[in-house]
Amino acid sequence: MVKSNPVVIVGGGPSGTAAAAMLGKYQIPSIIVEEAPKIGGVIYRGPLRKTASVPHLDDNLQRAMSALRTRYENNRHLIDLKLQTRVLGPEGKQQLLLSENGELTTQGYNELILATGCHERSVPFPGWQLPGVMLLGGVQLQIKSGLVKPGAKMAIVGTGPLLPLVACQLHKAGVNVVGVFEASSFNKLAKEAVALLNKPKLTLSGLSMMGYLKKHRIPFYYGHGIVNAQGSEKLERITVAPYDEQWQADHRHTQTIDVDAIGVGYGFVARTQLAMLLGVEHKYTKVSGYVPKLDSNFLSNQENLYVVGDSSGLLGADAAICEGQIAAIDIALQRGAVTTSVALKEKRKVMRKHARIARFRFGFDRFSERQDGLLNLAQDDTVVCRCEQATKKQLDDAIEQGVKDLTTLKMRTRIGMGDCQGKTCSSYALDLLHKAGHQQNSKTGVIKPRFPLDPIPFTFMEEILDEQI
Amino acid sequence: MSKYDVIIAGGGAIGAACAYFLSRDTELKVALVDIKKPGNASRASAGGLWAIGESVGLGCGVIFFKTLSKLQSEAQGEEIPTMRPHQLPDCFFELALKSNAMYPDLYEELRTKHNVDFKFERTGLKFIMYNRDDELYADQIVSGIPHLSDQIRWLNAEQLKAEEPYVTPDAIGAIDFKCDHQVNPYRLVEAYTEAARQNGVELFLHTEIEQVIREGNKVLGLKTAAGELRCDTVINATGAWANTIFKQATDLDMPVYPVKGQIVLSERMPKILNGCISTSDCYIAQKDNGEVLIGSSTEEKGFDTTNSLDKIQELSRGAMKCLPILNESNIKRCWAGLRPGTPDELPILGKVPGIEGYLNACGHFRTGILTSAITGKLMTELVTGQPTSLDLTPFSVTRFFDKA
Repeated sequence: MVKSNPVVIVGGGPSGTAAAAMLGKYQIPSIIVEEAPKIGGVIYRGPLRKTASVPHLDDNLQRAMSALRTRYENNRHLIDLKLQTRVLGPEGKQQLLLSENGELTTQGYNELILATGCHERSVPFPGWQLPGVMLLGGVQLQIKSGLVKPGAKMAIVGTGPLLPLVACQLHKAGVNVVGVFEASSFNKLAKEAVALLNKPKLTLSGLSMMGYLKKHRIPFYYGHGIVNAQGSEKLERITVAPYDEQWQADHRHTQTIDVDAIGVGYGFVARTQLAMLLGVEHKYTKVSGYVPKLDSNFLSNQENLYVVGDSSGLLGADAAICEGQIAAIDIALQRGAVTTSVALKEKRKVMRKHARIARFRFGFDRFSERQDGLLNLAQDDTVVCRCEQATKKQLDDAIEQGVKDLTTLKMRTRIGMGDCQGKTCSSYALDLLHKAGHQQNSKTGVIKPRFPLDPIPFTFMEEILDEQI
Repeated sequence: MSKYDVIIAGGGAIGAACAYFLSRDTELKVALVDIKKPGNASRASAGGLWAIGESVGLGCGVIFFKTLSKLQSEAQGEEIPTMRPHQLPDCFFELALKSNAMYPDLYEELRTKHNVDFKFERTGLKFIMYNRDDELYADQIVSGIPHLSDQIRWLNAEQLKAEEPYVTPDAIGAIDFKCDHQVNPYRLVEAYTEAARQNGVELFLHTEIEQVIREGNKVLGLKTAAGELRCDTVINATGAWANTIFKQATDLDMPVYPVKGQIVLSERMPKILNGCISTSDCYIAQKDNGEVLIGSSTEEKGFDTTNSLDKIQELSRGAMKCLPILNESNIKRCWAGLRPGTPDELPILGKVPGIEGYLNACGHFRTGILTSAITGKLMTELVTGQPTSLDLTPFSVTRFFDKA
């Protein structure tokens, strides 16, 4: 192995950038491959254009954004940043195929860190495809990076700590937020008080967000959620209802609210397609879907291949930073760039922090654990897979006929055969199979990712890579 | 412990067809045991019913021809080796054509009786000619099958343009095999499977087969992840993995091995093809949902199912040469399947002398989708002791042992 070869990092979010910075600390060069025009990931990317101030974003967030930027700047002489570059898949051994400036290129590696983040968990309900119905991450992108208001009059539905946060950001940006609907009950949150004390500062900031909502008379309903969205061309109103403990909507007590946009946030799913194409072994978790099997250094079953951040399981940005650092320390140790005792000491410190965040986060995970009632929102004719227009009834029929695994469900109904490769529909279909009593494993419960991860223009095949093949 | 009359090992096109025909034509108690492994050929297939095309070495076999034509052009000026189409023996034509003839009725039957639709489309298969070499090759094909002349149409450039306006104007003509059509391959497997289930076949899906249960020369059933399943007859339809079951049943090895084929798929496109296409670079089929499927490489790389840019590029270039409109489309995804290859490219069907309770239904190489129907029928005939629809001698596994 050539020691000066850069470590290749896929994803320039919190974990990828932290890994590059930690490698930099040990004088190890790295290449960050990032699909966006800026590092930071959805959470810390910030505005895509220059702006004097971002008053709708709180101080904590702005501090974290500038910390990430500093980590990068301090080590930029050792970091080769490839922006607007997407990984299409593996090409041969220890090499990735990239789409970079409208061309295909390859990138070899000795050590690879995947920090590909997560995508949103889509929960189909009648009207979910109407313009104006957005997932929470998309709402955040609009206000944080696009600096546009997603709507004038909005509601937030879903579960978890992101709900009040986005509600505050929207309100500060001048949106009329008519209500926040949290699927779980307040009692359930109270039970997690001990776990939340693991991160008192975060808990306090959560409380202050709740205080902000109260002060501005933005109603927050525990044990409530979406029933459907309506509108002729675009979203005009939503129906919400109380949810019971299983998140089954109580249709006798619905209320209809006029809105022009909503944010829907029922959680996230680890973005694992590249890891799967590279042969990394995965296991199922309720919170994050399939996640890679990793050791305590975030090393996978594939040689020198690490998976960190939300793509290894959803713990949020602070934990993602720790994970990137741990993987980097391990690589430094393997390369002999640091002594064992220094590495262990450094690693222990980061791991302690990581464990504290995890305990805090698990509290919220228990509070927000998805309940089966959510699966009943979609009606027979509700489209579940929007690429292929497969409906809930088609899925139900196939399962009724004895289909027990996700791939066969795909063959019967075409779910997951579209351009998005199942990113939108597969989590829902998986939940349906589980509900029907068909437990899946990493072979049966996954829409197998296919090369290329993004479509490639045929014309790319005319000129490229002749010399490299 | 459950006891069945027949247990089918493998639920791809072949296994599922056996399950369907046995359940349709007999009162036997049938079980099907299947686990999908990466590269299973039925789901990876293109779904061509190219009875003549495949028999004369078009379709998947076309890459093989390309190598030949390259050899020829490199030998220019020197002694040119005589180029002959890679034609399979008559017994294969009979098998392929008999099976092909079953699809129109099968399609109606599965749709009306079982409400499953495998998207049978009457397309024909056109071999596109770009130059004199291609024309010579087409001549050779046609003169090699005089008894099938009524199934072949010659199209000049103008006629081709009228029928396939998106094919490059550089084409000088085509021959069309009128009876070569297409289906949706994974829908075909699902259709057989669902119809078999409706007929009472017990399905053991994603169930690993651990071991063939045997006593001396008698096969008694299968030990599976779902427990021991006993039966009178095991049908081995395990595709590229067939030798594992064969060896456990007989203590012998048979030459069935994975032959990798890579496939390139476009995004959905408006209808740009009326028929299926074969050129000397690749075959092209627009499927029922508008995607254009381009195949296929022929590689012996064990059970590896990764895609490689060189093959994807080769296939894409071949397809773009034929259909310039692909310049406006994207490659949506690629995959690779493992054909169950045999040295003589013929399937291995029927009994094994000296072994009781065991039937081979494997080695279907490039044509498992096409020959699944006749294989299901033949297996049903063998299990029930009827005379078979065609002579199975050339397909017996013993052909590999006699020579040795």
